[in-house]
Amino acid sequence: MLKSYLKIAWRNLRKQKVFAAVNIIGMSTALCAALLLSLTAYREWTYDNFHENGKNIYQLISEEHTGSQLRTGSSMAKPLAVAIQKEVPGVKHTSFIAGNNTPVRYGANHYYLSTQLVDRDFLDMFTFPLIKGNKKEALSQLNQVVLTQQAATSLFKDAEPVGKTVELNLSGQWQPYIVSAVAADVPDNSGIEFQLLTRLENDPDFNTTRNDWGAANFPLFVELEPGVTPAAFEKNLNIIVKKYYKGKIEDLQKNGGAGAHGKDVFYISALGLKDFHLTEGSTFYSGLNSFYPWLMIILSGLIIAIAAINFINLSIARSFGRSGEIGLRKSLGAQDNQLMIQFWAEAFLLCCFALIVSLALTAFLMPYYNQAFGHRLALSVFRNVWVVSGVVIGFFIITLLAGGYPAWKVARLNILQVLKGKLGLGKSSGVRNGLIVVQFIVAVVLISCTCIIWQQLNFIQSAPLGYNTSQVISIPLDNATPSDISTMKQRLGEMAEVRSVSGSMLNLGLGNDGSSGNWTRGFTYKDRHVATKCVAVDYNYAQTLDLKIVAGRDFSREYGTDSNAIVINELMAKQLGEKDPVGLYFKMGDAFPVHVIGVVKDFHFESLHNKMEPLVMVINAPLNYIFVKVESPNAVASLKKITTLWKSINSLAESDPSFLDENAQRLYRQEQRFSKIFMSGAVLAVIISGMGLFAIAVLVMAHRKKEIGIRKVLGASVSGIVLLLSKDFLRLVVVAIVIATPAAWYFMRRWLQGFEYHTSIHWWVFALAGLIAVGIAFLTVSLQSVKAALANPVDSLNRD
Amino acid sequence: MIQLQKISRHYPVGFGKNYILKDIDLTINEGEFVSIMGPSGSGKSTLLHILGLLEEPSEGQYLFEGERVDKMNEKKRTQLHRGSIGFVFQAYHLIDELTVYENIETPLLYKNIPASERKSRVADVLDRFNMVAKKDLFPNQLSGGQQQLVGIARAIVGEPRVILADEPTGNLHSDQAKVIMQLFKHLNEQDKITIIQVTHSDLNATYGNRVIQIRDGHIHE
Repeated sequence: MLKSYLKIAWRNLRKQKVFAAVNIIGMSTALCAALLLSLTAYREWTYDNFHENGKNIYQLISEEHTGSQLRTGSSMAKPLAVAIQKEVPGVKHTSFIAGNNTPVRYGANHYYLSTQLVDRDFLDMFTFPLIKGNKKEALSQLNQVVLTQQAATSLFKDAEPVGKTVELNLSGQWQPYIVSAVAADVPDNSGIEFQLLTRLENDPDFNTTRNDWGAANFPLFVELEPGVTPAAFEKNLNIIVKKYYKGKIEDLQKNGGAGAHGKDVFYISALGLKDFHLTEGSTFYSGLNSFYPWLMIILSGLIIAIAAINFINLSIARSFGRSGEIGLRKSLGAQDNQLMIQFWAEAFLLCCFALIVSLALTAFLMPYYNQAFGHRLALSVFRNVWVVSGVVIGFFIITLLAGGYPAWKVARLNILQVLKGKLGLGKSSGVRNGLIVVQFIVAVVLISCTCIIWQQLNFIQSAPLGYNTSQVISIPLDNATPSDISTMKQRLGEMAEVRSVSGSMLNLGLGNDGSSGNWTRGFTYKDRHVATKCVAVDYNYAQTLDLKIVAGRDFSREYGTDSNAIVINELMAKQLGEKDPVGLYFKMGDAFPVHVIGVVKDFHFESLHNKMEPLVMVINAPLNYIFVKVESPNAVASLKKITTLWKSINSLAESDPSFLDENAQRLYRQEQRFSKIFMSGAVLAVIISGMGLFAIAVLVMAHRKKEIGIRKVLGASVSGIVLLLSKDFLRLVVVAIVIATPAAWYFMRRWLQGFEYHTSIHWWVFALAGLIAVGIAFLTVSLQSVKAALANPVDSLNRD
Repeated sequence: MIQLQKISRHYPVGFGKNYILKDIDLTINEGEFVSIMGPSGSGKSTLLHILGLLEEPSEGQYLFEGERVDKMNEKKRTQLHRGSIGFVFQAYHLIDELTVYENIETPLLYKNIPASERKSRVADVLDRFNMVAKKDLFPNQLSGGQQQLVGIARAIVGEPRVILADEPTGNLHSDQAKVIMQLFKHLNEQDKITIIQVTHSDLNATYGNRVIQIRDGHIHE
């Protein structure tokens, strides 16, 4: 029996090629898109899931509730780790993790290795299996390093790495370390990345801060004993927090800070490992909004829904053409459920084709997809049982929905009516129209969202940031030696096109090195708590970046006293409450006396996601970036020249210099990636909707051939008939636009609220989206209706 | 075999009812070959549909082999369709996607007959109708007469007790019609199958042994 069903299904598919093609193409592209999107979401959700103790590992996050503001921080003081191990019950391991790029030397070869400075517990906490060496011994000595397989191979080629001595330059001078173990390469879904591990004690600042409760440098991770809940841990932890941060808490309270949501004014919370990847504030935060994976799932659901709607509509329409067969089978003794199985089998067969095509398509497109959207998907995910079973279950649900409804509908048809051929594709059917409306709602929502996302990205990219982005080149210094840096500055000064050279601890935007950071300080000023962002800069900072000096002056070598001078921005001046802050002396915390020498106009030193904040610029810390203002007719050539110069001075330089406008754009690459995906999804959805509408139009026109013939004989004009035929469909599209507009407006308003600076939503976006939808629908339908209207009525009338 | 008692069929018109059939009393015995005749709209097709359980009467009782079947549930009705009643249609209603062989096999599939028996029964019928050579052709490769032969072959392969034929020769020219009618006569006489046909043609009616005239929903025998 099943064989007979499949035989019929197969022959039917071959007979009705247009519908088979629309269904298979639509379904398989939709399945392919959905697969890629869901796999992307799956990958984001399964980050860091390979740690065996993962569910017991937490990062500590500090929360300061200052007045109405919540300020979170991920860096912890070094003595806190000791205190936690001694005083908080249920803690198994703790480890700081501090990452940077470290120059490594073996023989004559230099390398930069991505390094994590960690505590001894690190390898016990996290699952980074060792290929060679012993987990207990690997980090027991301060002069030990653990290399990954790949790093060991590049350093030692085929030689045995364990026991070899390499030199690391962590503090400006080369020191010998012994390779104690080789770890397997870090999986690509790991937030924690490293090529080399060594002890935190090797950090040059370790000894100065090891007992300082006020200096919070590095993120701290804890592993709890199995069975200890994070809530219980937080409760015990904050008991000791109250004890050790008494002064800080009093300060905060004095300035109007108050606890919120059952938390004290200064509170340390525990963030689970599974949330590292998608939670802002985590050290291993990917920059990806936690909503985006959901959005991808929603988008893939929508695309599948549109394809499934096509499937349902076409199957129903097609089965009316087969009413004779249905009626006959009933008269031969077929039961409703047998007919249902038959029609479902056909749907299943078609979906199977689509699935096979889509899998092939996915495999084929995956490299391009990864390239276009900056993802790292691999076909190996199909080895995962959960992914495979997810795909299979999802597939069955789709075939049940897409094939089941038409099957059910067809099987219930009245036997007499179908035998008499009375049942046909009427002028309209509620379900079909409803489904078409749903399709176009999705299409219109996606079109208008795409428009608004595009506008917002444009807005961000063209928004004035308050500093010179087009002429300033930022050079990431990658831990270069001070002598290299001063040589570089000197050589830059000699170049003809260079107008000004400065530097900073922090980059503006995101450079080619991909690192970012911020430095926040809070202190008491005139009995008020004042919080500010800080940045260490080099002389001529304002001049190089074309910051507007509102009062006072920039840092300059001509003044000897600049070592404890600060330049502040207007917001900081406002926060201090001083009309004329220049010349002001005050203490930023203990032992940090400063005096204000200048005020600059506010500028966006962070991304436009954030509000502009008070800023203090100081001049004492080591530089991580050099900023160069160039003025030349050929900016690209200057960039090249500077890149070459830098590489010749520091042969280890890894990251290329880049212009600041490029850096600023790079801050929004998540948005760009997201919008690219969204736009592709929208285009796909619209195309599939159009295909479905086209096929339905073909069917309806075929059905109304006779009516059209009669109307023409009676004197109807071609345009009149086209209008008559298209009208029904266009009405549906208009209904869809009316429903879709408020929905799109709502979603986009919420999305825009994620940006502190955003464009407003214009009414014409929706008008445009509506127009596009109407245009597409009209084009699709009129292709068919014009053909029908032009046909010779004699042909259509003679056939009966 | 078939007993209709006070069978009526009507549909509502405004506040009243429009009767298609009214108070039909009819008994058909096993082995009869009945022709139902009458002008268009007289209700003869409705009568046939009621006899074939494709349509339910509005009033009255229908006994099939002594059992009440008007108001029967779907499952039991399906059993009758599978085992006792065969249909032949004016428009043949062959499944276009299936070959001659597969079309004839279909009712046996619904009866869950094992493959080997299906094969031999279809082969028998093909042999009997001289269609062995055409068994792998599709309906659109056959003439109208041949298609109707397949239709009849399909109706009898399930070995029904009664065949209901709705203008079986309506779409055929006279030579083909003659072949079909002779086949019916043969089936009636040799296989003892009860045959009820609706026809317009007096000539076709002569093949049967009883004529029922319907006019305005009433029987005039």
